[in-house]
Amino acid sequence: MSTFAQAAEDHLDDVYGYLAWFTGDRAVAEDLAAETFERALRLWHRFDPARGSARTWLCQLARTVALDHFRSEKRRLRREQLAAPHERTYSQFADSLTPALESALRALTAGEREVVALRVLLDLDAGTAARVLGISPTNCTTRLNRALHKLEEALHVAA
Amino acid sequence: MSQRDVLAELRASRVSAPLELRERVRLLAIAGNPPPRKLVTWRRSVALLVPVAAAVAATVVLTRPTHHPQALQVQHGEAAITAPKAFALPTTPKRAQRYGATLSLRVHGQTDLSNSVKRALRIATSLGGYASSTHVSTGSAHIVLKVPRTKVVLAFAQLAKLGTIVGERIDILDQQTAINDNLRTMARLQRELKALRAQPRSAAVKRQIAQLTTRIESLQRANASTIRADRYATLSLNLSTSSHAAPAHHGHGPLHGIAVAFRWIGIGLLYALAFGVPLVLIWLVVRVVRRRRVDSLLNRA
Repeated sequence: MSTFAQAAEDHLDDVYGYLAWFTGDRAVAEDLAAETFERALRLWHRFDPARGSARTWLCQLARTVALDHFRSEKRRLRREQLAAPHERTYSQFADSLTPALESALRALTAGEREVVALRVLLDLDAGTAARVLGISPTNCTTRLNRALHKLEEALHVAA
Repeated sequence: MSQRDVLAELRASRVSAPLELRERVRLLAIAGNPPPRKLVTWRRSVALLVPVAAAVAATVVLTRPTHHPQALQVQHGEAAITAPKAFALPTTPKRAQRYGATLSLRVHGQTDLSNSVKRALRIATSLGGYASSTHVSTGSAHIVLKVPRTKVVLAFAQLAKLGTIVGERIDILDQQTAINDNLRTMARLQRELKALRAQPRSAAVKRQIAQLTTRIESLQRANASTIRADRYATLSLNLSTSSHAAPAHHGHGPLHGIAVAFRWIGIGLLYALAFGVPLVLIWLVVRVVRRRRVDSLLNRA
């Protein structure tokens, strides 16, 4: 049975990458990843290897942490927009991506980015990704196809 | 750029966690030991308690007293116990108990009925008892007999021979506790009376003495009355001819038990549906609403 330290070592990049693509902000992803692993340590006794891999479990936790972040951000933005309009900033998703793909990814919604992150970046199969997202595998595949189609269109327009 | 190229480029891009984060998580893993796995969690408790509660409920439902004519019910004080058909009168001669018993018998015809009534009265008299009431009509008779408590077993055995038993019931009400309470109260009152008698006889003291004496006498009478009444057991004898006797339902086939089990399972399923369907619907609605909220949140993010 894997220990928490082992799981953290093995899947830190995956969790961070997923959060970076999901939030579109590396600094936020760093904080959320740290929070995810703190929560994972607290809840490690609940992790059951028979029900899924540590990576899937960590991604599920990361998603919960990210959704909490989005909710608090939404509330904060609502408050701040009353005073002054907010300009959102994005950081790079990955160093090796072309600028065109970077901007195409930025045009996707967080929901679309997370499915791309899970299926493409983390290379999870449809069933596992669907479990992380809490949807059916068919729905997961549909979302991925839609996101990829949008990316393709955006790149076509940019070209 | 085709979708395949997009996928290839996305797959080629690896995101590595910064060193600070890596160090932070490493320290977290070293510093904090995961808390030990709890053996008792609320989920496990629910998983255990629900079947236990269901089993208890099923036991209560399946073992509750029946109204079958062959069932022997013995009431002891306030507690009621069902006993098997084998007739065993619980007797505790040293305690004051009020015995009541009902015996339902079936006889062949009107002549047998008449003879049985006579023999029942003779049995009561021969055992030192008497008939408290007798009602005889065409096809049935109801006799209430008072029999000395010490001979109630014998009386019951003899009366049971008068016909075919179709029902029997015994009621025993323990009155020893009430008598003991009275005795204790009397002893206390006697002590108070003794103390009062030692005092100078003023008008108030005399009045108190009179009151206590009256109370003690009243308690003595009550106890004596209870003990006297308990010396005799009340036996109710219901006689009926074959045409009037309640038909005994014993002709169940071998599959009757299964049919009963299925009926209970059906009832259980009906309840489960009645309670479960609304719960499932609520759960579905909550799930859909939550999912829509998350989707909406992610579409705006």
